[in-house]
Amino acid sequence: MSAEQARRLVVLAAIWIVLLLAPFWMAPLGGYTALATRVLVLGLAAMSVNFLLGFTGVLSFGHAAYFGLGAYGAGLTLKYLALSTPLSLLLGMLLGGVAGAILGALIVRRRGVYFAMVTIAFGQVFYYIAFQWSSLTGGDDGLRGFSRQPLDLGFVRVDILSSANNFYYFVLVCFALAVAVMGFILRSPYGRTMIAIRENERRARFLGIPVERHIWIAFTLSCFFMGFAGALYALVNNFADPRGLHYSQSGDFVMMAVMGGMRNFWGPLLGAAVFVILQDYLSSVTINWMSFVGMLFVLVVLFFPRGLLGVVGGRGRA
Amino acid sequence: MTVLEIRNVTKRFGSLVAVRDVSLSVPKGELRAIIGPNGAGKTTFFNLISGFFPPTAGSIAFDGRDITQLPAHRRVTLGMARTFQITEIFPELTVLENVRIGVEVASGYRLRPWISAAERARVHHRVEELLKLTGLTASSGRLVGELAHGHQRAAEIAMALALRPHLLLLDEPTAGMGDQETYEITQLIARLHREEKFTIVLIEHDMRVVFHLADRITVLDQGSLLAEGTPQEIAANEAVQAAYLGQAA
Amino acid sequence: MTQLLLFNITNGLIIGAFYVLMALGLSLILNLSNVINFAHGGFLVIGGYIAYTVTPYIGFWGALLVAPPLTAVIGLVVERVLIRPLYGRDPLYSLLLTFGLAFIIEDGTRFIWGAQGKPVTIPEFLAQPLSYELFFITGYRLFMVALVVIVVALLFVLLRYTRMGIRIRAGTLDLETVAALGINIRMLRSLNFAVGIFLAGLSGVLAAGQLGLEPTMGTGLLMPSFIAIIVGGVGSLTGTLLGGLLIGVASGMTAVFFPAASEAVMYVLMAVVLLVRPRGLLGEEGMMT
Repeated sequence: MSAEQARRLVVLAAIWIVLLLAPFWMAPLGGYTALATRVLVLGLAAMSVNFLLGFTGVLSFGHAAYFGLGAYGAGLTLKYLALSTPLSLLLGMLLGGVAGAILGALIVRRRGVYFAMVTIAFGQVFYYIAFQWSSLTGGDDGLRGFSRQPLDLGFVRVDILSSANNFYYFVLVCFALAVAVMGFILRSPYGRTMIAIRENERRARFLGIPVERHIWIAFTLSCFFMGFAGALYALVNNFADPRGLHYSQSGDFVMMAVMGGMRNFWGPLLGAAVFVILQDYLSSVTINWMSFVGMLFVLVVLFFPRGLLGVVGGRGRA
Repeated sequence: MTVLEIRNVTKRFGSLVAVRDVSLSVPKGELRAIIGPNGAGKTTFFNLISGFFPPTAGSIAFDGRDITQLPAHRRVTLGMARTFQITEIFPELTVLENVRIGVEVASGYRLRPWISAAERARVHHRVEELLKLTGLTASSGRLVGELAHGHQRAAEIAMALALRPHLLLLDEPTAGMGDQETYEITQLIARLHREEKFTIVLIEHDMRVVFHLADRITVLDQGSLLAEGTPQEIAANEAVQAAYLGQAA
Repeated sequence: MTQLLLFNITNGLIIGAFYVLMALGLSLILNLSNVINFAHGGFLVIGGYIAYTVTPYIGFWGALLVAPPLTAVIGLVVERVLIRPLYGRDPLYSLLLTFGLAFIIEDGTRFIWGAQGKPVTIPEFLAQPLSYELFFITGYRLFMVALVVIVVALLFVLLRYTRMGIRIRAGTLDLETVAALGINIRMLRSLNFAVGIFLAGLSGVLAAGQLGLEPTMGTGLLMPSFIAIIVGGVGSLTGTLLGGLLIGVASGMTAVFFPAASEAVMYVLMAVVLLVRPRGLLGEEGMMT
């Protein structure tokens, strides 16, 4: 095993040890398990955005929409369809992914800032629908009246509703699955074409890569991941929030990716942790926390554009 | 067997005519050089061949097939590979990674989430082959963006070769190079032409390179075809001399 | 029935005029500097609040004259300090910056002026409707449309006939060449930004008189501006003008039949345009890719 591979294995092990033991080291630090669960889910969302942003180089700013769709998908499933947690996750993921596939087809003809604008506008459509169709979605108040169901594994029933730790580990398993698939894709020949497109779109095209089609695939895949993360998020609070569909939520996800380091696979998770903790802390000490978050955006962009892991690590790939 | 057949091609940008009624026929195995003073329309002509944009008039046939309206990436899959005046590579990936992407796409793996160990071995073997051909084996682990200009160009050529092209288009391959690098690239292209039997069309300004490599030369001036012939014929052609001297004056 | 239709179309045009004013400012900045100004709504709010603050001293007309330029000056400072460092970089960063800026402005105005809505008094004679039949056309609304028409006309004159305007238009098409011609593009971008913010500030004053003032009002107008630009075509100011009017009228007309869907119709329009003519109604091929 080469030095580089050994280094990567150590980093990976360290990350997973930290994640596995989170409920135990958080409490002494003044944290609580539910916070860790939130960080995992939002981290997954940020990593899904980064799938597109950091690894394909595509500027999608309206991605929260698919996150929100996943949340509503899960909530509506539990409320009206079946009392099954796995099903709610599946349908939430499908809702986000399929919406992404359809809209992606419309969007990928353009790129650059124009593309970003269109993704934002389309994302807002869903925000608007969630608000207006209040008979289905609960409107401004959000979707309530559902809760995460115990997991029936055949030989045991796991209560994930009342036990924060149980739920954390359930989410961790889901996170691990999603992240494994994501990493797998990025290391595949297809994943390498994504990176090629990011590195030099013209060269990618002149190697015979149909760039628009590959971007559409990346877009759709990231929307599936986003839908999955959103579905998990609905389970966190047993609540689906229309604000989760707003473009400001998208901005948060992008900021998490940037803050953590876009070129690093785990960067967005770190960014999510920092962002969530910071936001939590700020909103508890001041009413004007919004302007501080805004200032954070400005400072990171001006002075730390490569993010935490961009400063520390090397070239960082999947 | 004609690899490239261009008939009466014209390209207009608004009221500007960049290429006017140019025809060209390249048989298999030939090395054709396109030369001409600055502003002659050479790069635009190249862009027409590679499918950057469609011609305003005229037709382009590749391996006997009409490709006039075909987009760039489709021409690539049909067997046309090109390099650019300003080297287009993946600067923050290693030489090996750069060439590997070309090989994987050429092998039809671009949509694969997974390839078998046997396939991976084949890809690896081919990458090594190409690196050896272009003299880059020693630099395979280095970031392409950090290499000397000449090696970057060689890497770009290696990527183009990965596509097993029927036609290799080289846009000013020695642009911006010193004597030593020019010599090395020229040797590489000569090898590709004489030993590997590639069909090559290139744009060049360096006349030493042109006369050393070319089987036939096409001269463009202000968008039109000025002359065509063997290097000896072109060297003796007075109109060509006038066009170049006119430039200098 | 006709009167209802007329009401809604006129309403639509008035709203459209508003969208046009906002969208044009946004479009100017987008075209020249490749920056999506998320804070545009924030500058609208600043304009409105400045008007509110000065109205007791110099009246509505004074506020109308003073607030937009002041907002533009603030815009200039912001551009110089925060946005200029980002021009060479990936457009992602300027996006995030204006995004964060929007937060700062919203919270800032809330901090300075409080979260409650503030009334802005408009001159008495403007508040009167024109006549009994045309009760929905108040003098103020007419004045607003007239002002927008004048300002837009002035803008187009500026862009067509003044040196700065011509440089801005040239810069939109090919900034490199403009720079190579020796023109100071940094100053050009700053001035262009200032003009855009002037329009936002003006929108703010007008909106304040019509809708009342509160810190969150800017964000509601940002999305329609986006849609106006997408529908009208990126890179074309006339397109933006057309787009703004179109979505204003479309939403006004929809309000007759399906009031709840009047906002949705803008998005539908955008989706249709993207399907049928992705570059927008008057957009140019190859812009912004």
